[in-house]
Amino acid sequence: MDNIGRECKSKIRKKDVELLSKLQNFNDFSCNKSEKKVINSKNVLYEADCQIKYDSKEQQTLLINIKIDIVSIILFLLAVITRFYKLGEPRNIVFDELHYGKYISLYMRRTFFFDSHPPFGKQLIATAAYLANFDGKFKFDRIGSEYSSNVPIFALRLIPALCGSLIIPVIYHFMLELSCQQWTAILAALLVLCDNAFLTQSRFILMEPMLILFGLFGLYCTIKYLNLQMYGASSQWIWLILALISLTLSLCIKYSGWFSWILGVSLIWVDYWKRIIPNRNISNKNLILKTIFQFSIIHFVSIILYLSVFYIHLSILKKAGPHDSVMTSAFQASLEGGLASITKGQPLQVVHGSQITLRHTHGRTCWLHSHPHVYPLRYPDKRGSSHQQQVTCYTFKDVNNWWIVKRPYKDTLVVGDPIDVIKHGDIIQLVHGITSRALNTHDVAAPMSPHNQEVSCYIDYNVSMPAQNLWKVDIINKEETDNAWHSIQSLIRFIHVNSSQALKFSGRQLPDWGFHQHEVVTDKVIQQEDTTWNVEEHRYTKSEDEKERERDMVSAEMIPIVATSLSFWQKFYELQYKMFFNHQENVQNHMYSSEPLEWPLIGRGIAYWVSSEHNAQIYLLGNIILWYSGVIAIIIYICLIVFYLIRRRRQYYDIDSNTWCHFTKIGHVLLLGYFLHYLPYFFVDRTLFLHHYLQALIFKCLLTAAVIEHVHTLLKRHYIFKIAYYAIICLWILAIVWVFRKFSVISYGIIPLSAVDVIKLRWKNSWDFIIHKQ
Amino acid sequence: MTKNTCIKENKVGISKHNKFNTSWWVLFILMIAFSYVTRLYKVSQPDHVCWDETHFGKMGSWYINRTFFFDVHPPLGKMLIALSGYLSGYDGTFPFEKPGDKYGNTSYVGMRMFCSTLGMFVVPFGYLTIWEMTKSVDAAAFAALFIVCDVGILTLTRYILLDPIFLFFMMGTVFGITKFRTLFHKPFSFQWWSWLMFTGFMMTSCISVKFVGLFTVILVGLKTIEDMWDILGDLKKPFKYTIQHFCARFLVLIVFPILLYMTYFYVHLQILNRSGNGDGFYSSGFQSQLIGNSLYNAKVAYGAVISLKNHRTGGGYLHSHYHLYPEGVGARQQQITTYTHKDENNHWRVKHYEKEYEEESPVKLLKHGDLIRLEHVASKRNLHSHKIQAPVTKKHNQVTGYGENGVGDANDVWKVLIEGGSDGEVVNTVTSKLKFIHYLQLCVLTTTGKQLPKWGYEQQEVSCNSNLRDKNSLWNVEDNIFPKLPNVSFEVYAPNFLKRFIESHAVMFQGNAGLKPKEGEVTSKPWQWPINYRGQFFSGNDHKIYLLGNPIIWWSNLLFLLLFVFIFMYNAIRHQRGYKDPPKVARMKNTMLKSCTWLFVSWMLHYVPFWAMGRILYFHHYFPALLFNSMLSAVVITYILESARFMFSETIFTTIYHTIKGLIFSFLLYSFYLFVPLSYGMPSTPATEPNSTMYGLKWLDSWEF
Repeated sequence: MDNIGRECKSKIRKKDVELLSKLQNFNDFSCNKSEKKVINSKNVLYEADCQIKYDSKEQQTLLINIKIDIVSIILFLLAVITRFYKLGEPRNIVFDELHYGKYISLYMRRTFFFDSHPPFGKQLIATAAYLANFDGKFKFDRIGSEYSSNVPIFALRLIPALCGSLIIPVIYHFMLELSCQQWTAILAALLVLCDNAFLTQSRFILMEPMLILFGLFGLYCTIKYLNLQMYGASSQWIWLILALISLTLSLCIKYSGWFSWILGVSLIWVDYWKRIIPNRNISNKNLILKTIFQFSIIHFVSIILYLSVFYIHLSILKKAGPHDSVMTSAFQASLEGGLASITKGQPLQVVHGSQITLRHTHGRTCWLHSHPHVYPLRYPDKRGSSHQQQVTCYTFKDVNNWWIVKRPYKDTLVVGDPIDVIKHGDIIQLVHGITSRALNTHDVAAPMSPHNQEVSCYIDYNVSMPAQNLWKVDIINKEETDNAWHSIQSLIRFIHVNSSQALKFSGRQLPDWGFHQHEVVTDKVIQQEDTTWNVEEHRYTKSEDEKERERDMVSAEMIPIVATSLSFWQKFYELQYKMFFNHQENVQNHMYSSEPLEWPLIGRGIAYWVSSEHNAQIYLLGNIILWYSGVIAIIIYICLIVFYLIRRRRQYYDIDSNTWCHFTKIGHVLLLGYFLHYLPYFFVDRTLFLHHYLQALIFKCLLTAAVIEHVHTLLKRHYIFKIAYYAIICLWILAIVWVFRKFSVISYGIIPLSAVDVIKLRWKNSWDFIIHKQ
Repeated sequence: MTKNTCIKENKVGISKHNKFNTSWWVLFILMIAFSYVTRLYKVSQPDHVCWDETHFGKMGSWYINRTFFFDVHPPLGKMLIALSGYLSGYDGTFPFEKPGDKYGNTSYVGMRMFCSTLGMFVVPFGYLTIWEMTKSVDAAAFAALFIVCDVGILTLTRYILLDPIFLFFMMGTVFGITKFRTLFHKPFSFQWWSWLMFTGFMMTSCISVKFVGLFTVILVGLKTIEDMWDILGDLKKPFKYTIQHFCARFLVLIVFPILLYMTYFYVHLQILNRSGNGDGFYSSGFQSQLIGNSLYNAKVAYGAVISLKNHRTGGGYLHSHYHLYPEGVGARQQQITTYTHKDENNHWRVKHYEKEYEEESPVKLLKHGDLIRLEHVASKRNLHSHKIQAPVTKKHNQVTGYGENGVGDANDVWKVLIEGGSDGEVVNTVTSKLKFIHYLQLCVLTTTGKQLPKWGYEQQEVSCNSNLRDKNSLWNVEDNIFPKLPNVSFEVYAPNFLKRFIESHAVMFQGNAGLKPKEGEVTSKPWQWPINYRGQFFSGNDHKIYLLGNPIIWWSNLLFLLLFVFIFMYNAIRHQRGYKDPPKVARMKNTMLKSCTWLFVSWMLHYVPFWAMGRILYFHHYFPALLFNSMLSAVVITYILESARFMFSETIFTTIYHTIKGLIFSFLLYSFYLFVPLSYGMPSTPATEPNSTMYGLKWLDSWEF
């Protein structure tokens, strides 16, 4: 208790002197009121100050500035040397260059592609490729195949390498801005510089270097903004905007950049909560206005930027390409040379007598199909069928995909004058074009999904199984077309009149007897994606004798435009929808996939590439000493903070308030950043790889440096310990550099290795390097 | 410190209306009676198997018959069902084959009564919890009413299911920890210890019924941390005092639960001592403890008939049957799979790679490094592999059954390696981990664990992987039939309880993770739950029972949830701005908002994790969260009423107060009356017909009655 007393006294004295001046401008963004306490019986509130002495710092600015530049330039040069060394080699497709290279060549050819990540990273690389006159004609077929001479591989790899190099000086400044000492900042930058995983990842056409750079720079700007805001510098707004831009761009490279965005924005709001809201000098009205302003500026900047990235994406990619079929007919029709070329000039309104093909709108692309073959009498599991004509969903264009829309009471199929427009809610029959049988469903279990009804084209066997071939047209987006059924645009459900079930693509494949086409059933759950259909091709039925008049009528109904033009919003909405809900990319158990739990201790890496002649290879692997120290640093940090918290709760103050504030700030930014970028992967239901960990890893490296600094400050009184500590740290750094050098052969993949060399590098049994069989 | 004094003053009386008096007792007894009557009314109807009774009834029978089975849930709930069945005269003979089977003479009512009785306790627990939290009779009564009037909870707690048992223990835990925290001023008293023990007991039982009880355990953990933090901050007490508190909680909330949990499993494994249909999921060593298992010899000799079990957790037996791979899937030869059930088709004969086995030849034992052929006993085909893609994992080679009457080709030769063994080491049953290396293709026999399509009867794929370090490529010999060698005592393999305990968990977790929705299956999504989007049929035909929440309660719950968020934000900002309330108001707000915050956190804990779950989900997973939400609504209503007290004059307030209270009571009861046919059974007429009991109540198209 003596200790407390002494400390309290000294603090009260300090407080008396400084209280008035501090009431105005005290508060650091991470700490303020948390340390209210009651001393003895006097109810004196004491607020710990976390202030850095601004005046003294400002005087030094000039001096420091020069130092900073030299240091960061040296760091940058070191990074450039390591990252750019023989960047053009190997001249082969390395790992995911396969995908990204393909996307970039599609950008060059302005051909539409579909990827579940946002496009900004690819756009950056595509810009570099465009400037280097890449024609996009190279075929990215498989990992390891050699680039032809017309691929400017250096230019393609330039942006990731540059970003990877820029990360190093940004780290240096970021750590300084977190009020770490200069040597800590240098150490942090060096640690990242000497990590093999960052090196490997920065040398190829991959997204992570850009993702990390923008995320980190955004956070740097955020901290800078918060620090400047404390003494109201007007340049703070520039930093806020910069922060938001950078964080949003990180999000536009990969959705995992969103974690950085969340971190940055939460830092801003926490600061707002602690500093602005308690400020009674701001009136309630002004506070509300200020909050709205801050809120809208944060989201406005982010949303505008996100939208413009997609706007650029969609306005560049104008031509139809290999990924079209993922999108709806309407989207495809808006692309040059896609559906537009087919649908040009076809009538818009679906009427009695229309000949149509019906596309399954969402998910797998296929068209409603039928053929003269019938369902087998009995299935292998002894269930019976109706033995009527099969109806399937077929993934290819075929003459058997044509259906004719017919009103039940009209016999002639000719399109009359005036045309008989089908509207929402009308009852129709669908007659198969080639076999002239009507689409039918009945209470017979479907072949592959026995809980659903079978769909067939009705054949009358005279076995007291009457035709049930009436369907109600349910137009989902009827508001857009004033209840009328339009080709391409209208999304339709067919509701069976007798059973009120909806026509549905079940997703299962029929066996041999169904030619492996997809099964079509009806389902009582009407509102689901797989019950949605739309008309793709469309023409009116013309009869022989009235040919001339028909043609007139048809040409009067022609759509005047060349292609349907969807607005940016419609395209954007559809693309986003598909990106979030279309998980077709599920790579089946990739050979080098790993679990989040294996990452911190490098359970396994990823083989990126191996030379076809010798064992030179590129294998993604971290610097094992650094990664293990990172884990230890996190444990030390958590133990220390728990210890401090418990001690402070008992009013023992082991470290002075400046150190404490610095320590918690580190935790708030770096430890939280680490967990925010790491823990979500435990809940992701996708194939994961080691490189997903890199974003979190960077925070771990920085935290390691910060913890080293903190332990150093703890040791300040013990001279001998301090010397020993320096020695240990030096040895440790040397070890890291040595491991970095040793494993750099598999980061660069340039030096030929013998099988023995490779096995020597296998420090962990689970690192499965590739060794050619002799 | 200030907080503690606050609570103390609350005890003295938050207001005159809310004292622990006759009205408390009247309401309490009324609620219990109402709850008990509603839960037991027509409990024997329908007299057929409803929904998941088919599973849990079956498992109850297995306990009574003591046959071993596999299930993804921990055992306590099923053991209690079995116990209640046993005590009420159920003999374990009813097959519980599928929902809708008539019970006939089976005495099933005892089990249903038991479950309903436990379900009944949910209401008084809710009442007591809210009372202890807020010391407000109004809030407690509202909470009990919200719970008792929900037809969803009513339906869920009337049948032979795990849910009534789970909800009972969960609410018990919540009540226990709340009650315990009100005793902070009499630490280490007898009362204090007993409530702590009660909490520990309830918590363990909760997680021993279903693993979702983990969220309740986390809740208790969070509350305990907060509690410890308060104690630590009390500077009047020495640090030793905190340590004492910590040790007490460590003992009762960590050590005791672990022991109790293991005891439950011990009982479970002791009861189930006969070999049953769940054997195949467990390792051979595990099975050696079951009566009626099929282990025979200790050493493997040439000519022995063996079965091979894969070493992956829950891995199956190497299996083949008279069906070929379909056309287009590799070579059209006989299928080889792994299968988790015991079957004649799992048997293989060990043969020398070129010689045939002769009865008269001397016994020759199988050793590390030997070259062998494995002949499928039933079809006389050899285990074979060749350089053709495996059916699912295209990077591996296909494994087939090949040859006629044991005569095949050179691709039938496999090299046997014992993991970590050396040349000349003899292969042991069960304990040796074996690898089979294909002699010509240099690949290792493995199972990928992926399901084959329908043509393979959804058994798992077996393939040959050229990466010899494949994790799943370890096998062990299980059955080993060779009359010339003496039989072995099972005790050799017997794993101790701890090993069996750990293995059953590994198998359970794997089973849980494997419950993925099949392609094309319509599953319930977490976003649908709070809005009561779609229910679940418990019973069909002419006695329809449909699990659906009382929409009035569910939707108003959501409303109050939102309201709470606003109230909380409003007060937090006011506090941050430094505004002070008059002490009376502040005290009321403090108690109410603190209770609300805890209830909100509990709701989140029991709901949000489902969003991140990949396994198949059902509507009834929401009910634990719903209980917290209902209690939250009750406290929010009371908060609003109490705030009104400070806004209006006494007379106006009394009028408003009684009107609102009466309105809420009658509204809830009326909605209960409207929707109760969903639980007690309705005729099969659809709700669109005017003569249906549910006419006009089909408010959402997605409801299926």
